[in-house]
Amino acid sequence: MAAPTEGLVPGVLEPAVVAPPPGEEGRLGRLRVLGGIWLPALLVAAIFFLCFVWPIIGPVPSPTGGSILNSNDPSFTPGHLFGTDATGNDEWSRLLYGGRASLEVALAVTAVGLIVGGTLGAFAGYVGGWRDGVIMRALDVLIAFPALVLAVAIAERLGPGELHAIWALSFFSVPAFGRLARAATLRVREQNFIAAARLSGTGHVRTLLRHVVPNILPELITFALLGMGIIIVLEGALSFLGLGIPPPAPSWGNMIAQGEGILSAQPKFVLLPSAALFITVVSFNLLGESMRARWTAR
Amino acid sequence: MVGSTGESPLSRPRAGRSPAWMSRRRCGASLIAVCACVAVTACGSSSKPATSSAATSSAATSSASGTGTSSASGTGHAGGTLTVLESAGFAGDWPTGLDPATNTNGAADQSQMDAIYAEPFELQPGGKLAPDLATGYKFSNGGKTVTVTFRKGLKFSDGTPLNAQAVAFNWNRDLKSPCTCKPTIMVKAITAADDSTVKVDMLVPDGAFINQLQDSNFSWIASPTALKKMGEQQFKLKPVGAGPFTVVSDTLSNQLVLKKNPTYWDTGKPLLDGLTFKTTAGDETALEAMQSGQAQAYEGMNTPKLVNSFKDKFTITAQPSTSPYDIQLNTAIPPFNNKDARLAIYYATDTALLNQKLFGNIYPDTQSFTAQAGLFYNPTVPGYPGYDLNKAKAMVKQIGGLNVNFFTITQPATQNFMVALQQMWKQAGINASIHFYSLASLIQQFQGKWQAALQTAGAWDPAGGVGVAFRFNSHSPFSGVHDPKLDDLLNQGQGATDPATRKSFYDKAAEYIAQNAYGPFLFPVATWNVAAHGVTGPGLTSAIPSVAVNPQVLWEDVSAS
Amino acid sequence: MSSTASAPLSASPRRASTGALTRVVRSPLLRFVGRRLLVAIPVLWGVTFLTFVVINHLPGNAAQQLLGVNATPQEVHQLAVKLGVDKPLLSQYGTWLSHLVQGDLGHSLASGQSVTSILGTDLPITFELIAYAFLISLGLAIPIALVAARRPNGIFDRTSMVFSMAGLSIANYILALILVYFFAVKLNWLPALGWVPPNKGLATNIKYLTLPAISVALSLMCFYTRQLRADLVQQLRTEDYVTTARAKGVGEWRVIRHHALRNSAFGLITAVALNLGTLLGVTVIIEQIFGLPGIGHELLSAINSRDLPVVEGAVFVFALIVVLANLLADLLYAALDPRVKYGSTN
Repeated sequence: MAAPTEGLVPGVLEPAVVAPPPGEEGRLGRLRVLGGIWLPALLVAAIFFLCFVWPIIGPVPSPTGGSILNSNDPSFTPGHLFGTDATGNDEWSRLLYGGRASLEVALAVTAVGLIVGGTLGAFAGYVGGWRDGVIMRALDVLIAFPALVLAVAIAERLGPGELHAIWALSFFSVPAFGRLARAATLRVREQNFIAAARLSGTGHVRTLLRHVVPNILPELITFALLGMGIIIVLEGALSFLGLGIPPPAPSWGNMIAQGEGILSAQPKFVLLPSAALFITVVSFNLLGESMRARWTAR
Repeated sequence: MVGSTGESPLSRPRAGRSPAWMSRRRCGASLIAVCACVAVTACGSSSKPATSSAATSSAATSSASGTGTSSASGTGHAGGTLTVLESAGFAGDWPTGLDPATNTNGAADQSQMDAIYAEPFELQPGGKLAPDLATGYKFSNGGKTVTVTFRKGLKFSDGTPLNAQAVAFNWNRDLKSPCTCKPTIMVKAITAADDSTVKVDMLVPDGAFINQLQDSNFSWIASPTALKKMGEQQFKLKPVGAGPFTVVSDTLSNQLVLKKNPTYWDTGKPLLDGLTFKTTAGDETALEAMQSGQAQAYEGMNTPKLVNSFKDKFTITAQPSTSPYDIQLNTAIPPFNNKDARLAIYYATDTALLNQKLFGNIYPDTQSFTAQAGLFYNPTVPGYPGYDLNKAKAMVKQIGGLNVNFFTITQPATQNFMVALQQMWKQAGINASIHFYSLASLIQQFQGKWQAALQTAGAWDPAGGVGVAFRFNSHSPFSGVHDPKLDDLLNQGQGATDPATRKSFYDKAAEYIAQNAYGPFLFPVATWNVAAHGVTGPGLTSAIPSVAVNPQVLWEDVSAS
Repeated sequence: MSSTASAPLSASPRRASTGALTRVVRSPLLRFVGRRLLVAIPVLWGVTFLTFVVINHLPGNAAQQLLGVNATPQEVHQLAVKLGVDKPLLSQYGTWLSHLVQGDLGHSLASGQSVTSILGTDLPITFELIAYAFLISLGLAIPIALVAARRPNGIFDRTSMVFSMAGLSIANYILALILVYFFAVKLNWLPALGWVPPNKGLATNIKYLTLPAISVALSLMCFYTRQLRADLVQQLRTEDYVTTARAKGVGEWRVIRHHALRNSAFGLITAVALNLGTLLGVTVIIEQIFGLPGIGHELLSAINSRDLPVVEGAVFVFALIVVLANLLADLLYAALDPRVKYGSTN
């Protein structure tokens, strides 16, 4: 049976892509597998380049600080590929900087989940016993806690913002990575080489670091890649609800939210960030999938 | 005298269909709602009586009965049902029920309340008050006493009589209610002089009393018998009034289904057999729902861009506005305790450009708290510091720079507005950081060290609703101004019963505000009502001035075909 | 409520029949369930306490919200006493807890309605939405996965994999916008807004829920399709009983339908159970977009008006559902894999 989901929104833990049938291996098979990784990797790299590097080196105007004198310029106006929004900001720039904000949130949340959740989970799985129980219960509380309440609370108390969105979403990612890390650790723990290491006198911490972690890392990283897509969508949802990154700074979520209000008049303000969101999530999903195929088809 | 909303705009989606949190579409509406949300003593808590120029002993009694309502768009046909959409975050929310004593959202829910309860006086197209449940009124005692005469033989929909005793019962009950919505008129006693006359004795002269009814929960009279029989809990969910419609079912802040009241006093009305209010996330969702045939009307659209996209599909009627946007400045603490800083804001704000680019110049710029459709409209104020970028730059340099914390309520419509102002002020060297808050947090802001806020001010009658005192009276917690001279002018403007006298005081007040640069005014809130082809009704397809932000619709005269 | 260790992908033994069911009704199961439920209690406690703390730290409180800033301190205090929000945090929580044990969830501070009745009206709406979404997603996922698995890497398989990848990558709120634009506005086939209770006509009720349910269901469907298809293909490739069946001349379809599918069913149900918890959060946005008066919508407005009893009540129910759903998933998963002892992984 395929690995069960770990209680996340679908799309996160996916079963392995099945290896090609016997006979199809060989060059064609290898190409397919290689193409499976490199293409999405290239896409992801391109997205990161566009959102993080290009605005610095290329001719991209600032996403804020426009003037309402050029509000609502149509697409293909000189200097504004996709036109401007209601306050005169360049839409292309907003897409890029918005992507940067969304990706920053996703990266940060994933990093927090990986490090904090991964450590907790690995520790719990390795050590077992009552410590395992306590950690898992704590993570269960986080999972059962409606993220919405927390997100609203943070936004209201501290004001919406990128950092606060990261905190709110980390409440999701820490338990998710925690459970995955623990399950993976449990599996690895039973392996012979772990027993061998312990028998030869390796301390617990060293065993954890040198033997357990490297073996659970592939699974965690695959999960992280698939999770990126989820987190970006969630950040969009938060901003859609007004709890994420507040204007005038753009994020794909708040751009979609703002554009939705004038959908009938100017659909491009929804279509552009939605398309960007879609392409990014697909790329991460493809990358995660192909990495999973790589790791499990060994 | 104001209803209030306890509902945060945050609770609904912001973008057209988005939820929650923020669907709060009504920029101006929510701003008004904020004001509404806090009980404000518009008449000021000062009990200083109006001075000599106040009231003559009585104003003329208003015109006698008659049908009192007229369909400005011609007679429609009877029959049919109508579904009308209201925006979440404002009129689409009634979280505390529909009992006039406890409905914190009364000012926003006017349509629902009017449909169920009707009113003593109704605002007509053209801006005149006409009798509805009441037939007339009379001021006496220097404006401190007003007697209101009600129609004889009125009955609530449960058959019990709507007489002066019922009215007095209601009004006294409203005043005792622990609710933000309780009217803040300074009442000494309310009694039933006889079966159809109610006498209100006030502590200070209030020439605006009848006008203030328009934006007060006093306007809605509940059946005392039903209240007793059902108990308050049940009553607020399924209220009983004497209006053109009765309640069939009520899902709080989501859907209200009404049907024709066969015992409504105006025979032949209402024209509709059924009326349903549905809550929608915002302008875009509402218009989409109308396009898919789910609703035939939408109140309070405020996205100018959508007007063009839909003007061929529906009848879109611009509603005369009575409330201008204003920038409130807190004169109690730096930086705006310094008049120069305040002037800098005035000089740096290009009202005309904002009006043109963001709102399409629907209404002319204003320089005071009055707007075209309101009473005592004053288009230009002598000495008003207008836009002058050079002066602004010079001022900023003079005071050595200006940093401002500028906030408003979370609203899609205010977003662009705030961003544009931030950009504009930047040109003069003013650094503004902008913030958006939900209603609850917004209230907290005013309790702290706030600097500047984008709000709306004014109402059809400056003494009513989110009138002027709300923003400028020294006793209002939402005011940034603490100036007894201004208080005095506003009190007198309210106290006088002669309209010309009232106008002169309000003109002086506007001039005083401009002279002291207490806060710039911009242009009125722009809203539209949308109706499917074939639907007509006063206030819906014709213009009735808004009392606060939502214009009134005379539902008994609305027809679906 | 931690999930048990996930079994290595290909090592779980398979049965060609439903022998798994008989193992499930033995007594270690009851001990397992009992222990899990016991463990669930501190989790529920933790969630509700955390909510209490969080809501009380938000600016403004219910009494103030209802009365407004202009109320005198005495008035606020009076109302606060009446509502019970003036007591210290722990005492308030204690009171709430003691009422909870007696089945009383309190009354809404805004409308005065009992929280139980509010939940009773709102929960069925959300549940119906979720059930409808599951129906659509599973109803489509199973046939598609079956056909795809019949010929792995064939045209249908590859096309369906591409589309399901795309479907997975669409945010549900964006999908909702698109669906409304095409099906409600342009084509006028389905309504854009609102809710009609079943007693006013089941057909109408379902019609109104269709677009919201699809918005939720699409990504679910794509996920289940991929999972089921991979699982089926793996079985067909590796399991002994399949080779045996084929050798016996059993048709490919029969093998898939009668054997492989049954074995995959548990995994699917586990996934469904685990998704149930997170779906409750997802439906909030959908309810807002479509104006459905469900529990998500209620929670959102209650947070805004600092209506603590309603928030607590809703959070409690959410947490309960998540806990129970996880328990169900664990049970099903454990039933499937005999190597996972009921007590061995805490």
